[in-house]
Amino acid sequence: MRGMGIVRMMEHDFRNFFRYKWWLVGLISMNLADLFIMAIVYNNMLDKTISAEIGGYFKFFAPGLAVTGLFASAFMIGREINMERRREVHHYMLSLPMTRFELAMGRVLSGGLRGMFYMSPLLATCFIFLGLPSFGQLLLILLVLFFLATGISGLSIAIAVSTSSLEKFITARGLVYYTLFFCSSVFYPLSLIQELGATGRFPSFLVTLAEINPLSSASDMIRSFLLPYPTFSWTMVINVVIFSVVFTFCAVFAYMKIIERH
Amino acid sequence: MSQIALFGLIASRLVSVPNYFQYYVSGLSVMTLYSAAVFIGFDIYEEAEHGVFEYLLSLPVTRRQLVLGRSIGGGLRAFIYVGPLIGVSLYVIGAINPLNFLVALFSLFLFAFGVSGLSITIAVMIKSSDRFDILMGILDALIVRLSTAMYPLAIVQASNPVYGWLTNFNPVTFVADLFRWGTGIDSAYFLLDNPLLPLLGVVAFFSFFTFLGVIIYERRIEGGGWQ
Repeated sequence: MRGMGIVRMMEHDFRNFFRYKWWLVGLISMNLADLFIMAIVYNNMLDKTISAEIGGYFKFFAPGLAVTGLFASAFMIGREINMERRREVHHYMLSLPMTRFELAMGRVLSGGLRGMFYMSPLLATCFIFLGLPSFGQLLLILLVLFFLATGISGLSIAIAVSTSSLEKFITARGLVYYTLFFCSSVFYPLSLIQELGATGRFPSFLVTLAEINPLSSASDMIRSFLLPYPTFSWTMVINVVIFSVVFTFCAVFAYMKIIERH
Repeated sequence: MSQIALFGLIASRLVSVPNYFQYYVSGLSVMTLYSAAVFIGFDIYEEAEHGVFEYLLSLPVTRRQLVLGRSIGGGLRAFIYVGPLIGVSLYVIGAINPLNFLVALFSLFLFAFGVSGLSITIAVMIKSSDRFDILMGILDALIVRLSTAMYPLAIVQASNPVYGWLTNFNPVTFVADLFRWGTGIDSAYFLLDNPLLPLLGVVAFFSFFTFLGVIIYERRIEGGGWQ
């Protein structure tokens, strides 16, 4: 049946995901330590003006943390694909009775779904402390996060198939990770980055990157439904959708073309 | 470096702590040193997986020399890795008192050796890379966050007395405070009245994990059982 290959690939990748259960437990511990230690301490040393604007660092950071967890877990698929390529497991993958498109799309989607699965306890923690959104808002949050996770999975796969060694993949991952996280509103409000940019203390291209960054858009969209800051805008949703479509396409194309060449 | 340039710069505007950028940069050096020194444990698992362990055991050195060499080697390479970051810290922080800085540098060395010893001790005790991975992840999450690497002690104590108490006895706190003292960061939030106490703390940490590492390594190194 057409499309079953995608489901089979997703099942395969989900099985692999649970092989890393210890690693995932460690990652969740770190995420929770960030929230229950770091965010609580930062809450007490926050600038008063900023505190009044965002309503406390703990509440501000909780949605950002869900996005952080989503990113880390959705990006894991790239490491697996890079390893498969190095160990030449991709020859076996290519021999499976499914089309190249099903193989590639299945991997991008499973990376995204794994991200959603891992992120769900972090999002639930966020709802416990910040309150529940309306049903419509919850659906929009889940949809946008799924698009974001798929885009991250796509980005990770595109990097994985374009890099020949684990070291190169890890270097590229570090570069992407730090740029996307620190140039976003995950840890601090976007208005602060814009203010620094306006006074010339922060390069304007990095301010623009922070504004269009899908991690900023997703974090701020959750905040807009649960906190008084910032105001919801459809641009947040559009940013994430564009990011997702672009990187899903790139990943599928790169996976289909590059993997056959080796 | 990007953490300094991006997170450090923006976070310094986010908080009301004076000179937070300098504070953060110095703390980041210590956090990175910790993470780099921990890596020796992962190397031990890789050696066990590839059969290098048997080769090491066949070398004409005692078990004691082997673990001491590994601990010092792990600490030194972590120090080399963090060297450029320490250079950047010095550039950002500016003026230093050479004598104080030498004491701080010595404490960083001891700390790196101690963390390597800790990593080796845990690795050979549990002999399972999965368990090691999770334990080091949790330890990293707690030891770095419950320290003064990112925030002053007074604020941690004000946030939660239990966190404050734990932070007070953390080797990362000792070495971060000594590094700030050595580089001469000046602020009411991080005054160090008596550098001898954290220095003794770092020496105790180093001694405990290096010598515990030697004993445990000697007992557990043979007999396989690596997972």
